[in-house]
Amino acid sequence: MEKDDLLITAAQAQLALSAEEAGRLETAVSEMLDYFEMMNEVDVSNLPPTTHALVRENALREDNPNPNNNQEDLVNRAPENEDNFIVIPNVL
Amino acid sequence: MTELKEHDKDINSFLEFASEDAAASVAASANQDGPLAGLTFGVKDNIAVEGMHLTCGSKMLKDFVSPYDATAVRKLKEAGAVCVGKTNLDEFGMGSSTDNSALAVTNNPWDLECVCGGSSGGSAAAVAAGLVPFALGTDTGGSVRQPASFCGVYGLKPTYGVVSRFGLVAYASSLEVCGILADSVDTTRKVFEVIKGKDGSDQTSIDHIPASADAETVAVLAGDLGLKPEVETAYKKAVDGLKSSGMKIIEVELPMLDYGIAAYYTIAMAEASANLARYNGVRYGHRSAEAGSFEDLMRMSRDEGFGDEVKLRILLGTYVLRSGFQDQYYTRAQKIRTAVRNEFDGVFTKADMIMLPAFPTAAFKHGDQSLDQFQQKLADKFTVAANLSGMPAMSVPVSVENGLPVGMQLMAPVFAEERIFKVAEKLAEVLPPAACPLSMAGQRTTEAK
Amino acid sequence: MAASTSYETFIGLEIHIQLLTETKIFCGCKSKFGDKPNSNVCPVCLGYPGVLPALNEHAVELSYKVCRAMNCDLAKEGMFERKNYFYPDLTKNYQISQFEKPFGRNGYFEYESGGGIKRIRFHEIHLEEDAGKMIHQGGRSFCDYNRAGTCLLEIVTEPEFKEPQEAEDFLQAFRRTVRHLGVCDGNMEEGSLRCDANISINTPGAGLGVKTEVKNLNSSRFVKKALQYERRRQEKVLKSGGKIIQETRLWDEDKSVTESMRTKEEAHDYRYFPEPDLPPFRPDQAFFDMIEKSQIELPLARKQRLTEDYGLTPDQADYIVEEKAAADYFEAVVALGADAKTAAKWIMGNVAKELNRIDLSKADLGTEKCALSAERLTKLLGMLADNKIHGKIAAQTLAAIFNEDKDPEVIVKEQGWDSSADEGDLEKIVQQILDENPRVVEQIRGGDQKPRGFVVGKVMKATQGTANPQSVQSIIGKLIG
Ligand SMILES: [Zn+2]
Repeated sequence: MEKDDLLITAAQAQLALSAEEAGRLETAVSEMLDYFEMMNEVDVSNLPPTTHALVRENALREDNPNPNNNQEDLVNRAPENEDNFIVIPNVL
Repeated sequence: MTELKEHDKDINSFLEFASEDAAASVAASANQDGPLAGLTFGVKDNIAVEGMHLTCGSKMLKDFVSPYDATAVRKLKEAGAVCVGKTNLDEFGMGSSTDNSALAVTNNPWDLECVCGGSSGGSAAAVAAGLVPFALGTDTGGSVRQPASFCGVYGLKPTYGVVSRFGLVAYASSLEVCGILADSVDTTRKVFEVIKGKDGSDQTSIDHIPASADAETVAVLAGDLGLKPEVETAYKKAVDGLKSSGMKIIEVELPMLDYGIAAYYTIAMAEASANLARYNGVRYGHRSAEAGSFEDLMRMSRDEGFGDEVKLRILLGTYVLRSGFQDQYYTRAQKIRTAVRNEFDGVFTKADMIMLPAFPTAAFKHGDQSLDQFQQKLADKFTVAANLSGMPAMSVPVSVENGLPVGMQLMAPVFAEERIFKVAEKLAEVLPPAACPLSMAGQRTTEAK
Repeated sequence: MAASTSYETFIGLEIHIQLLTETKIFCGCKSKFGDKPNSNVCPVCLGYPGVLPALNEHAVELSYKVCRAMNCDLAKEGMFERKNYFYPDLTKNYQISQFEKPFGRNGYFEYESGGGIKRIRFHEIHLEEDAGKMIHQGGRSFCDYNRAGTCLLEIVTEPEFKEPQEAEDFLQAFRRTVRHLGVCDGNMEEGSLRCDANISINTPGAGLGVKTEVKNLNSSRFVKKALQYERRRQEKVLKSGGKIIQETRLWDEDKSVTESMRTKEEAHDYRYFPEPDLPPFRPDQAFFDMIEKSQIELPLARKQRLTEDYGLTPDQADYIVEEKAAADYFEAVVALGADAKTAAKWIMGNVAKELNRIDLSKADLGTEKCALSAERLTKLLGMLADNKIHGKIAAQTLAAIFNEDKDPEVIVKEQGWDSSADEGDLEKIVQQILDENPRVVEQIRGGDQKPRGFVVGKVMKATQGTANPQSVQSIIGKLIG
C-alpha cells in the first residue's frame, strides 16, 4: 500500500496516526495485503459469497417496549454530560 | 477469593476479581439446585458481566463497567455458577498470545516465561492453574482452541450461532462465538448444555439440533504440515491414540487451508473496522484530553485508546472495504469462505470427524522474535476453517512435550458437539491429560478417574 | 409563475418517513417524539460494547405495506447492510441500512397535478435506522439519542419531476397516502416526514445535468420555493457561461435562498457490506398474503370514487379524503342512509366548525374522542330531511351533541325543539299573530312581501324557534291567500 493510500484509509477510519506510527504500520499493512494477493489464485467464478456461516430462518422481534430504568446511569457514563445531554465539542 | 488472588499473582490471568462481598452474596443467592451449582467461573474480559469491568484488554475501555450481563453469563448464573472475575485477553480479541493486552501480561502456568496463547489466554491460564473449573472465552479464529492447547486444557468453539453472542464485544461478528475453556470434557459438556440455545437478543443465534454422536472414521492430514517437532510428535501420538480406541483413520488433503487464512483475515478485519468504529470517546470510554475540535477528539481518542495490532486491523479492514478494492478483497474472501466450507463438507462425506493440530507450535516465550505478529497470523491456518464454516471444534490436551502441553483439535459437522465430546473422552482414556505443575491443589477435578 | 425556461429540468426527491411503531427498529426503547433528552435509550441504541440489533417485526410489515402500496417489486429476500461513516449522532458510527437487497424496488405512484394524473417512479424503498439529534450551542454540541434507532423508511424517486410544482403536489399526495396507510403521521415540522430534493437542468434532449442537492425543506411549500429558486440560480450560472458544482445546499427560509453547505465533502465512500448480525429476511407466502390483505383504497382512487359514485364536487371529495378517518366516517354516514351530498356539505360546514370549536379535527371523526358518531349525524340529517327540525335547530342540536354527548332525538325532545308539532297548532298560532296585526295583513294582501318575515319572526318567538320557517310561510299564504 502506498503511503497516500494508508493516510486516506486512516482518515476514513478516523485514526490520527503520527508519522512514526504510520511508518511502523505501513510495513505490517503491506505484508498483510501482499499475503491477501494469494486469494487471486482461487477460481471463485462459480462460488456464491458466504455472508452468514449458517443459513437460518427469519428472526424478528415483537414490537413491545422494554421497561427501561437505567437511562440516567447510561448518560452519566459519557465523559461529558449536562442536563441529560451527552456533550462534545461543537461539530459545526 | 484471597487464595485465588494469591495463586494468580505470578500468572496474572485475571484482570479483575469480583469483590469478596459481591462473590459471597452471589454465592449465597445462587441457584443451589442448578446444573452448575457451586461451580466458579472466569469470564474473558470481552464478555459483559453486569457491574464488572469490560475492558477488552484495551486502554479504550479501561474504566468501562458493563451495565448488563451477556446472555451466556446470565444463563450460567441462573444455573447456579458463580462468576469470580474477568480474565485477560489480547486487545479486543486480536492476537495469539495475550501479550497484545494493553492492561496486563499473563504468564503460562506451565512455564511462566511462556505466553498462555490467545486471545482467550487469561481464561485458559486460569483453568490450567486450577483457579476455576471453567471459564468463558471467545473464538473468532482459534482464540479458545489455541490457548487451550498452550495451557493443556479443553477448549470448545461451538457451532456458530448456537451460543448467543449478546454481550460478546464484537470483533468479527460473522466468525465468532462464545466458547468454553474447562478442566474436563464433562465440565465442558455441562456448561455447553447450559449456555446453548436461541436467544431473542441475538437474531443470528439458533437452536441446537444435535447431530449424530457416533464417530467411526477420523480424517487427518498427511505430509509436511510445517509443524514444530513437539506438535508433530503429539499429532502422531493422538492418531495412535484414536486408533487404539478403535477409530478408523483416513488421510485427506485440505488445500484450501492456506487460502482460508487470507480469507479469514480479510473478513475479520473488514468486520472489525466497523465493529470498532463505535469507540470514539463520545458516549463512554477513553476521551482524549488533548483535543480541541470534535474531529480531533474522535481521532485522538481512537489513536490513544487503541494499540498497534488493533489499529493495523482497523486500517486493513477499512482498506479492503473501500470502493474499488472491495471486489478484489472482501467479496473474493467471502467466496473463498464458501470454498473452504465446501472442502470440509467433502471430507465429512468420508469421515465423521477431522483431527488437526490446534497450532503449529507449543507455547512460545514472551517476545519470541521467530514468531512475530505476522507469523502468528499464518499459524492460525488450522483453526480459522471452523470459524469460516461455522462447524464446532474442540482443542483437547493430548501430550506434554518438553514440559509444555500440546493440544489437538477435533472438528465435526455443525451441531455435532456431542460427537466431539465422545471422541475426546475416548482420547482421555488412552492419553490422560496431565495436571499443570502450578495448579492450585484441591481445586482441580481430574479427568482420569 | 417562474418564467418559462430554455432548459429541461430534472427533479428527484429523497423522502424519509418515520414508521409508526411502538418501539425502535433494533431495541425495545419507545419510539416517541418530544420526550426528555436521552430518556428513550438503552445499551443497544447507544451502541454499547457487546450489544446486538434485534429487528422489529412491525417495522418490516409496515415497510412492505408501503412498498406494496407504491407498486414496488417486493423483495423475496431483503438484507441489511452496514453503511460506514463517522458522525456523533450515529452511535455505532455505521448505520444499519439496506443497499443490495432493499425491501422494494421499481415502484411508482400516481398523483394529481396541473389538473391531470401524473406518475412518478421510485428507484427503491428501504428500511434503516434513524440517527440521534444534536443541538449546537457555543463551543459545544449536545447529543440526544432518543431518535437514534427509530424506524426510518427511505423512498427515492427517479429524477423525473419536470416542475417544482409537481414535486410539491406529489409530496402532498404522498403524505396523505402514508397517513391513510397508517404507517407515518406525516408531520413535517416534527420531522416524521423529511424530504431532500435534487435538481439539475440541461439543454433539452441532453439528459441529466449536474445536480445539486437541497436540504432543510421542512414543509411541502418550501420544497417548491427552494426548487424554484435553485432552478433560477442554476439557469443564471449556465447562462453566464459557468458550471454547476455538484454540492449540497441548504434552503434558508428567511432569506428565501439556497446556500452552499461548504463542507469539505470528500466523496463519501460508505464501504457497505452485509450486516453479519442480522440474517436475511425471506418472507413466506403467508406474509405476502398478509401484506396483500392489508392494502387499502388509496386516497386518489377514493377521491375519484367519491366524486363518481356520490356526486361530490372535487373540493368536497378532496376535503373528505384528506383524512382517512373523515373518508371512512363520511362513507359510514352514507351507508346508514344519509344523503351523500348533504352529508358532505355538513361535514365540510357545520361539523367542521363544531370540531374546530372544541379543538378536534376531521381526523378525529369516528373516534371515541368525537361525540358525533356516524349514527348520530345520520339521525340528525334524517330529522332535517323529514322536516322534524329545520336548519337552525339542526345546528343547535349538533352543538348540543358535542356538548352533552347525547343522541340528537333525545336533545330535540328534551329541548322541545320538535317542529313536527301539529300543523293545526301552528296554524292557530299564525292566525293569532295575524289577528293581532291587521296592518300587516293589509300590507301582505296589498302585495308587499316584506312583512311576512315579521310574522315568521313572531311565530318563531312564540314557538321558541322550533317552527319550521317554510311551514310558517305556507300557512301564511294559506290564511291570507
Ligand atoms: Zn434502545
